Amino acid sequence: MADVAALQTMLSRVALGDRTAFRALYDATSPSLFGVALRILKRRERAEDVLQDTFVSVWQRAGSYSAAASQPMTWLTAIVRNRALDLLRGDTLRATESIHNEETGDMDEPPDERPDPLGLLEQATDALAIRGCMDEIKGPQRQCLALAYYHGLSHAEVAQRIASPIGSVKVWIRRGLDRLKRCLDKTP
Amino acid sequence: MNYDRPDLLDRLAAEYVLGSMTLRARRRFERLRVALPSAEAAARDWERRLMPLSDAVPVEAPPAGTWQSIDRRTGGAAARDPRSAARAAGPSWMAWLKPALGFAFGVVATIGLLRVDPGALLPIDAIVQQRGTLPPSYVGLLTDAQNNPVLLLSSTRQGRLLSIKRLVPVDVPAGAVPVLWALPRDGAPFALGALPAGDHAVLMLADTSEKLFANVPRLAVSLERAAPAPGAAPAAFLLSGHCVKLW
Repeated sequence: MADVAALQTMLSRVALGDRTAFRALYDATSPSLFGVALRILKRRERAEDVLQDTFVSVWQRAGSYSAAASQPMTWLTAIVRNRALDLLRGDTLRATESIHNEETGDMDEPPDERPDPLGLLEQATDALAIRGCMDEIKGPQRQCLALAYYHGLSHAEVAQRIASPIGSVKVWIRRGLDRLKRCLDKTP
Repeated sequence: MNYDRPDLLDRLAAEYVLGSMTLRARRRFERLRVALPSAEAAARDWERRLMPLSDAVPVEAPPAGTWQSIDRRTGGAAARDPRSAARAAGPSWMAWLKPALGFAFGVVATIGLLRVDPGALLPIDAIVQQRGTLPPSYVGLLTDAQNNPVLLLSSTRQGRLLSIKRLVPVDVPAGAVPVLWALPRDGAPFALGALPAGDHAVLMLADTSEKLFANVPRLAVSLERAAPAPGAAPAAFLLSGHCVKLW
């Protein structure tokens, strides 16, 4: 992928309506962003919808990107994740409200969890050099964080997935986030 | 809740960015982000912390055609190619909003365009009056199932206006939308637009006739329940006929 400065330049050109830069930005970032959306939504057509919406939004909002406030991939990943989470929550709501689940039957397919969310979190903590710090977080806390972040599961869904009371899950996630914050804010 | 408390905002922002909030809680926090700079700052802080966790997610090439859809939706080259637009997937209202917007912009741009190409936005009969001769044009004559002529269509070769003359009344049931289709020699039919009402009408095309009709030997009209989605197949044809070059 292009480095931070190159992505910042592309975004600044996109803000000026430069379609060549827009295409370059898409080529440089879409495989990562599609991977993130796919991990949350599991279904390629849903992930593609999110990717399309994200880049349409980038084209319209590139002028609001502030290099001082966030790095390009942070900004782009946040847009993708927010759209994917909204879509996922909407799907869940419709599936819950629907008496007949025929239309959403394909959502019942077992999700592809390779690599599993915990494995992804461990890879990420290694890459961020916070493994030692994060090792202080107990297994269930780490699993809750991983399921919420990589699969977009709500507190209730995490509780169901790991067969634990929702109250415990909320506490684990809160403690896990506190620990993560301390670990990440310590790194240079 | 007391949103003046930084620890509360920090916790809400953390759970929002992590992704564990319900949809309703997400909406509440999004409103907070807009209203409170401290909520926005807390969310940005958590995005900075947590988004790098996504670097571990395996990359995955998006499906072919994703870029073309984005390009079309943002008004790029694909949007200016109506055949590509008809094939590309996307919300159906977008495809029909574009001709409407195109028409609105077209009205504004008419004076400027006329200076460049006097024929581009003049109906064929106006050009005939100016010149006294028939200009190079595409002409279509659509007939019903009994082979009775019903619609006469004409557009100058480089023009973007399709003149429509209704030779006999067309019976359109309530709620149905009569849609004009181009049937290319080699390719799927693509919609040109909904037929305007009136015995004499003009349809603004998405491109010049030459671009649209050069490989289109036939035109047809179907009755649709609604404006067809891009790439959708037409319903049964009510009228059909040849499209020929008049030069």
